[in-house]
Amino acid sequence: MALPGDQVSPTALPWAQVSPRALPWGPRVPPRPCPRHKRPLRPLPWVKCPPVPAPGTELALSPARGLAPPPRPSAVAPPLGCCPAPRPLPRPSAVNSSESHNCAKSILTSDRLQVVVMLSEFFNETWEAANCANCLKNNSEGLSDSTEEFLELFNKSLTCFEQNLQGEALDLPPSNYTEVCKNCNATYRMLNERYNYLQRMNRQGGEAGHSAHLCIDVEDAMNITRKLWSRTFNCSVPCSDTVPVIAVSSFILFLPVVFYLSSFLHSKQKKRILILPKRIQSNASLVNIQEKYS
Amino acid sequence: MANVAKKVSWSGRDLDDEDDDDEEEEGRAGEATPLLNGTGPGAGGARQFTPSSFLRIGQLSNVDLNEDVHELETELPRQYPNEIPHNEKLLSLKYESLDYDNSENQLFLEEERRINHAAFRTVEIKRWVICAMIGILTGLVACFIDIVVENLAGLKYRVVKDNIDKFTEKGGLSFSLLLWATLNASVVMVGSVIVAFIEPVAAGSGIPQIKCYLNGVKIPHVVRLKTLVIKVCGVILSVVGGLAVGKEGPMIHSGAVIAAGISQGRSTSLKRDFKIFEYFRRDTEKRDFVSAGAAAGVSAAFGAPVGGVLFSLEEGASFWNQFLTWRIFFASMISTFTLNSVLSVYHGNAWDLSSPGLINFGRFDSEKMGYTIQEIPIFIFMGVVGGILGALFNALNYWLTMFRIRYIHRPCLQVIEAMLVAAVTAAVGFVMIYCSRDCQPIQGSTVAYPLQLFCADGEYNSMATAFFNTPEKSVVNLFHDPPGSYNPMTLGMFTLMYFFLACWTYGLTVSAGVFIPSLLIGAAWGRLFGISLSYLTKGSIWADPGKYALMGAAAQLGGIVRMTLSLTVIMMEATGNVTYGFPIMLVLMTAKIVGDYFVEGLYDMHIQLQSVPFLHWEAPVTSHSLTAREVMSTPVTCLRRIERVGTVVDILSDTSSNHNGFPVVESNPDATQVAGLRGLILRSQLIVLLKHKVGDPRGGSCWAGWVVSGTAVPLGTGPRMSQPAWPGSLLQEASLPRVFKLFRALGLRHLVVVDNRNEVVGMVTRKDLARYRLGKEGLEELSLAQT
Repeated sequence: MALPGDQVSPTALPWAQVSPRALPWGPRVPPRPCPRHKRPLRPLPWVKCPPVPAPGTELALSPARGLAPPPRPSAVAPPLGCCPAPRPLPRPSAVNSSESHNCAKSILTSDRLQVVVMLSEFFNETWEAANCANCLKNNSEGLSDSTEEFLELFNKSLTCFEQNLQGEALDLPPSNYTEVCKNCNATYRMLNERYNYLQRMNRQGGEAGHSAHLCIDVEDAMNITRKLWSRTFNCSVPCSDTVPVIAVSSFILFLPVVFYLSSFLHSKQKKRILILPKRIQSNASLVNIQEKYS
Repeated sequence: MANVAKKVSWSGRDLDDEDDDDEEEEGRAGEATPLLNGTGPGAGGARQFTPSSFLRIGQLSNVDLNEDVHELETELPRQYPNEIPHNEKLLSLKYESLDYDNSENQLFLEEERRINHAAFRTVEIKRWVICAMIGILTGLVACFIDIVVENLAGLKYRVVKDNIDKFTEKGGLSFSLLLWATLNASVVMVGSVIVAFIEPVAAGSGIPQIKCYLNGVKIPHVVRLKTLVIKVCGVILSVVGGLAVGKEGPMIHSGAVIAAGISQGRSTSLKRDFKIFEYFRRDTEKRDFVSAGAAAGVSAAFGAPVGGVLFSLEEGASFWNQFLTWRIFFASMISTFTLNSVLSVYHGNAWDLSSPGLINFGRFDSEKMGYTIQEIPIFIFMGVVGGILGALFNALNYWLTMFRIRYIHRPCLQVIEAMLVAAVTAAVGFVMIYCSRDCQPIQGSTVAYPLQLFCADGEYNSMATAFFNTPEKSVVNLFHDPPGSYNPMTLGMFTLMYFFLACWTYGLTVSAGVFIPSLLIGAAWGRLFGISLSYLTKGSIWADPGKYALMGAAAQLGGIVRMTLSLTVIMMEATGNVTYGFPIMLVLMTAKIVGDYFVEGLYDMHIQLQSVPFLHWEAPVTSHSLTAREVMSTPVTCLRRIERVGTVVDILSDTSSNHNGFPVVESNPDATQVAGLRGLILRSQLIVLLKHKVGDPRGGSCWAGWVVSGTAVPLGTGPRMSQPAWPGSLLQEASLPRVFKLFRALGLRHLVVVDNRNEVVGMVTRKDLARYRLGKEGLEELSLAQT
């Protein structure tokens, strides 16, 4: 189990509070390793995010199910704050009996919390939820080609943003990034199209039980770019054609009024022909009914 | 029976001119009377005339004979104008009773006696087989509808979405609006054309019609194969066309048609007789299977087998027994299981069995979905709101339907109206989406067709999830989207718009149900309610608006359709959470009580507007002062036990008095013997008799072998078809509730009223009883009308 966890600098990129003022894209690192949870989890001290391995390295963590505890430290009982250090594991009483089974049992289920299982499940779940397998090649060796292409585009557009912003005065009102919008439009478009294409492909291939999401790295990268583009730079200004829409819709809304009025005025009202009942009309019943009416 | 009638042409005239199976024999027994109490147009010379001239003489003598009766009713004809605009206080002559009561005559008894014990067991097994087939076929039809709707609607929304995306950048969104409206209108046009021109009875949800059928009213064409085909296609087209409708209600009708078709082993639409299940070709058996079919339909629609059984029980329970319940439950289970397995195979996870109904409310078992006891008063309050809104919905729909019946009765107008509604629905949806500024991040959400429009990249318009989607999906979204997916403004506008759209849509000439729109309206305001509640209290216990959406949906649906028991169970089964049973029950109860205070339920209202002679459970409470003598129709066309063929043919072929049942009286009344009631014979039986036994009806020649038998006639001298010892007779002094009870409990079609001497004085049929209704000011009497 060779985890090349040290390759990635653990200083997380502060994507969340990214601002054009301080562009933190300086060291262009490979994208944030998977998995990243939505909620900013405070990482437990011994847990390192399972990184995306560099191409060629052996990948220890397969998305396969089962108990393959991804982070190495979890093999050692964790020093949880509230719990004392784990007691030494009881020796398996019967050595002859299926040893491995007993061993697994004693490691996995000896404490009340079953911390190992919990952690293992947590990591597996996070891996699944982040859909990390989606960015990897089929046999999990390195990033897939499409992902690499996407990341390349992503880097390109970030560079573009950076370059164009450097020319701008920093205290411009936030709606005035016209330079960026003009110059980076092509790159951004390409990135966007690429993403949409990936999504489409994924959805088509996803019929066979795959989830419809791309992996979290790609999604996140796209998200952040989109947010910059349309929120911060305010570049996507859709043409709003309110007048024609109002005209057309009021025309459509007007049609039923015409229809109902004309059918009220011109259509012949349907009349019912009354059939006279054949019955003895005794006065008592007539009085009875009429007095109820009045 | 009528197929027989069609080909018979005695005395140079068609027995029923252009009527077919269902429309023959309009009218009530005893409207016009060629024969009064057996003292017909003289036993003598009249018979020598040719039938046509005889007929004239018969009519002439008719006038003479009835003079005394006419004196009694001189007031009546002047009271009403002859033609009136349609209103809800009418009974249509179009509708007839079904013959639920087996006519127990000699032939029937002989036939039954011939079937031995083993054969009865075969019949029983056949019943189960039929129920299984009903379940399977209903499930398959539901699958078909679901899959086709999903694909077609998906196609439509993708096309429109691509178009909108394209025009958002370049400008020219009005073209997208036009495209959307045109697509909707054209799809709905097809759906409306097939309904309006081919089979108008397939319009609407079909639940009122099935309710009437189970009540014992024969609605023409309601259980035809053609109706089923039109219904299924119509539902698909109207849902794809984006109307504010659901596909669940029509499933009930579809199930009923399937049941009727299978159990009879023949189809009038295909003109095919498969020669199977001939034992079940009577109205009683057919009715039982139809209730099984309706249950199977509910069960397929909501994944609620028990709810389906209870629906049949609630709507058609006048005739019920335990074995039937068990069989119906079997059919329901089979139906939901079929749907489940086929859909799970279709969705690619075979044997997963995760989609038991057309609509799935999704799972409500997470912890935050639980409710606490403090919330129950809140739920009850929601029930009140649902009742009021439901009553408002019904009242608006009432006016609209009245207008439609009066002015929009031509098929082309109906088609145009449906198209306009479809276009307006699209336009309203588009404008709402256009104006909405409620954007939600796209990631992690389950929106099927996220529409960006003016939102930032990577976000979608939240109004679009509600409008730009099939209503079923919108309902589920409202139930399960995490808190904060909709802002209150969006929900409020959506509720308002959808309320009016749904109200406007129900009653169009398209086949479509009202269940889903009601649920959607309710879910929207329920969610709004939940959001504002958590906003007001700042409490975290009431954090999840999903359960309020569910309660709102229940309240709104209960307020509109006013079903109680079955709806509770349906909602409970659809949510898959038994603990919700109690609040749902409370909500539905409140909604019904509050709603009934204002107007009645939507289905009952439509039954009334269609002028159907619907019999409720009980006679109107203040009707004890009325007696059978006042209720009955009085001069009755009677047949004597030994009657001449010519007379019978003339009675049958008289178009002005196309009665269906004729009391049989003693043959030769003289001074010492009165013409006492001996039995009753049906028109269909007479026709069969004429077809098989007749010598030479032309010329009205006397035919001595012709005997309409009562009890006393020796067997073998003639066909023994009439029913001896007719239970449906009672004295003329009986009160209306008494008459009603007898009629309703036995499922009668004719009730002969006799005097002390067992002489026939009148006849009570369904329309005579249904005339009396408890209105706002007390007892009302409805008039009969030709529609």
